[in-house]
Amino acid sequence: MSTHLNIALAGNPNAGKTTLFNHLTGAHQHVGNYPGVTVEKKVGICQHGDHEIHVVDLPGTYSLTAYSVEELVARDFLVNEKPDVVVDIVDASNLERNLYLTTQFMELGIPLVIALNMMDVAESRGISIDTERLAGLLGVPVVPIIARSGEGVDRLLDTVVQEAAVGRRPDPILLRYGSDLDEAIAAMVPIIEEHHLLTDTYPSRWIALKILENDEQIIDKASQVNPGVSERLLAISEEVTNHLMHTLDAYPEAVIADHRYGFIKSILHQGVITIRFVGDRLYTSDRIDRIVTHRLLGPLIMAAVLFGLYTFTFNYSGTLVDGLATLFATMGDMVDRSLPDGPLKSMIISGAIDGVGGVLGFVPIIMFMFFGIAVLEDSGYLARVAFMMDRIFHFFGLHGSSVMPFIISGGIAGGCAVPGVMATRTLRSPKERMATMLTVPFMNCGAKLPVLTLIIGAFFSTHQARYMFLATLASWVIALLAAKILRLTVLRGESTPFVMELPPYRFPTIRGLVIHTWERTWQYIKKAGTVILGISILLWAMMTYPGLPRDQLAGFAAERAQLLAASPPQVVAAMKKGSDDPAALRLAAAIRKIDARQAMAGLRNSAAGRIGVALESVSHFAGFDWRTNIALVGGFAAKEVIISTLGTAYSLGDVTTDKTTSLRQRLAADPHWNPVVALSVLTFIMFYAPCFVTIVCIAREAGSWKWAFFSMGFNTLFAFTLSVAIYQIGMLLGLGG
Amino acid sequence: MTKKHPDVRFHCQKGGRCCLRKVPCPDDAMPLSKACCRGRVRICRIRGDRKTCARMAHLGLLPGSELELICPGRGNKCMVRVNGGTISLDRPVAEGILVTPA
Repeated sequence: MSTHLNIALAGNPNAGKTTLFNHLTGAHQHVGNYPGVTVEKKVGICQHGDHEIHVVDLPGTYSLTAYSVEELVARDFLVNEKPDVVVDIVDASNLERNLYLTTQFMELGIPLVIALNMMDVAESRGISIDTERLAGLLGVPVVPIIARSGEGVDRLLDTVVQEAAVGRRPDPILLRYGSDLDEAIAAMVPIIEEHHLLTDTYPSRWIALKILENDEQIIDKASQVNPGVSERLLAISEEVTNHLMHTLDAYPEAVIADHRYGFIKSILHQGVITIRFVGDRLYTSDRIDRIVTHRLLGPLIMAAVLFGLYTFTFNYSGTLVDGLATLFATMGDMVDRSLPDGPLKSMIISGAIDGVGGVLGFVPIIMFMFFGIAVLEDSGYLARVAFMMDRIFHFFGLHGSSVMPFIISGGIAGGCAVPGVMATRTLRSPKERMATMLTVPFMNCGAKLPVLTLIIGAFFSTHQARYMFLATLASWVIALLAAKILRLTVLRGESTPFVMELPPYRFPTIRGLVIHTWERTWQYIKKAGTVILGISILLWAMMTYPGLPRDQLAGFAAERAQLLAASPPQVVAAMKKGSDDPAALRLAAAIRKIDARQAMAGLRNSAAGRIGVALESVSHFAGFDWRTNIALVGGFAAKEVIISTLGTAYSLGDVTTDKTTSLRQRLAADPHWNPVVALSVLTFIMFYAPCFVTIVCIAREAGSWKWAFFSMGFNTLFAFTLSVAIYQIGMLLGLGG
Repeated sequence: MTKKHPDVRFHCQKGGRCCLRKVPCPDDAMPLSKACCRGRVRICRIRGDRKTCARMAHLGLLPGSELELICPGRGNKCMVRVNGGTISLDRPVAEGILVTPA
């Protein structure tokens, strides 16, 4: 008996696949009941008796056609990897739809065990299922389970092990699809078998069926392998398609689907299913939907829910955020005390601790927000938000499902474009997906928020909340307008129809919520530990090296020596002791001025400083000075860096204020800054090139660097144009005073 | 395992591009978008491009199938219950589905 098994979990979206996967493997991975959320292949291991079972969680699909990436992924895995057993998770409360996929597994002839999930929900709806009879009629083992509680899972695994021990691959089921199609299949199968067209991978009848269904992947493969034979098969397919169109006004796939449903109905009507309640009884979910998606009440409830999420995230994460900030400050102090002055200490404090601490400081906010989103997602509400938002999004050339990536990227309050870009996988149309992917970086992510807070606090502190709200609103307006522009130009094309299954409302499980939240938070922490750490150190080096030339250093040293020599010795001694004698304080301030000028000259001479100065020739049109330029260039590496870089650049350059002055006060007092510059910088930061990690992510998701570079160029140009307009008009109107 | 499918009669109608029809569309058939909030209806015809029709067919939205309408959008968007699942459709899709009261 084998001790090592490979199984795959397959089924409709929302049938409970991921819940079962979590139960089996305890894996840390993303779970949800938003349709189509599990796009990646997830693998885990579970031990059952002597058997080590490798479990693969396949994407949820309704069928095995080539219409979507998920369906292709699932189909290719089943055909190429040939798992020992495929566990087909079937929602017992929605049997007819779920068995549709089952019939397609049977057409493909794969070893199957049906896990009849949510038996409790079916019971509560008055549906009783005779599992023995269902198993008998289908010829496939059926095990009733409740994945949420784990009931029946052991029996399921026993059955899986038994089936794997038998080790047979069942013959594909032969369904009838009406005389016209049956005749066509009968004509095609001998041709396929004679020429061994793809028959080493797929059953011959299935190939014929797919060609009739106009399956692009199979038709392409067949044409590549044997163009001549494919032509003949396509000719048969075309003939029968024309005939069906002429006689039935129907494409073959509709006829085939109808016959599959007919087959399922004929099985269910043989005493498999008994419904105790009257047919048109409304389920609780539908009752909730009547209120929650009501034309007037719906948007109000949605606004309240989103506002609740905002409040929850920011009110409850505050203490943790402060705690983390204190922790990193203490770490910095410890390093400051224990290491001697020099480049290493400077690198650890300014490069590593400040950079990574700045990012990790957001972890509580990110965690609380992802928890809130996980609740909305797992309860089924987010799918309703997509449903309600579809009309607006449709107008801008996007899809209702685009709402989720926008929210994750910071559409409500903080977020991150990296998971946002990844979340676009739920979109089926490539052009809508691309438009969403290119516009989600316009949202105010968690890294931009503190920059916005800083600048708004410094220049518009009287209306801080209003400006923050306006910034959020502006990000949505600009993102949607940019999407519209993209969809009218480079991404022109038809909108996909919005046909989406709405999962029933469910109480989220604590386990699911914890896994979701942790999974996304961990992604963020990993980014801080790797990419941001590297970038922070690199930026630190760029802002430190090359140092000042010897003669300039000597010049500053001479200035200091001259100042000390000119002062009475007792004042110098008092200053060194740190006395608060007015003369000593004046001397200390004068020395600090020289230090600051030296640091400023050093920064200007550094690699980053030279870039900043070089960019000033262009950036002055938008009112940015060279120090802002350094921060903005740094922000391309990661937006979190903007604040720390501004902090370093302005603390170095500051000659008048003492050490305890905050960056906010320094900016407010700086002669280069005024409300118009602030607004111009603010606009640029909100809309310019996405950070480096997002760019990499876009390249990976879009499958080409072309779009990644496009996003960099398009966004920066767009943001710069806006900033120049704001600065020039603002200055003309004399608002810069 | 071979299973003879119960007899289905197909009717010939001209016009339209898609899909299977088991029942001819009577004169009082109306688009789903107009029929919203009218309880149970039966699909008599679906119009649309080949891919959309195929996708709807896989979800069980076929001529002949019965739907329960849950339509908070009142004509803008539709929510329908078919085969125990709730499916949302946007206006263009709902306009392409002709229904009669069941």
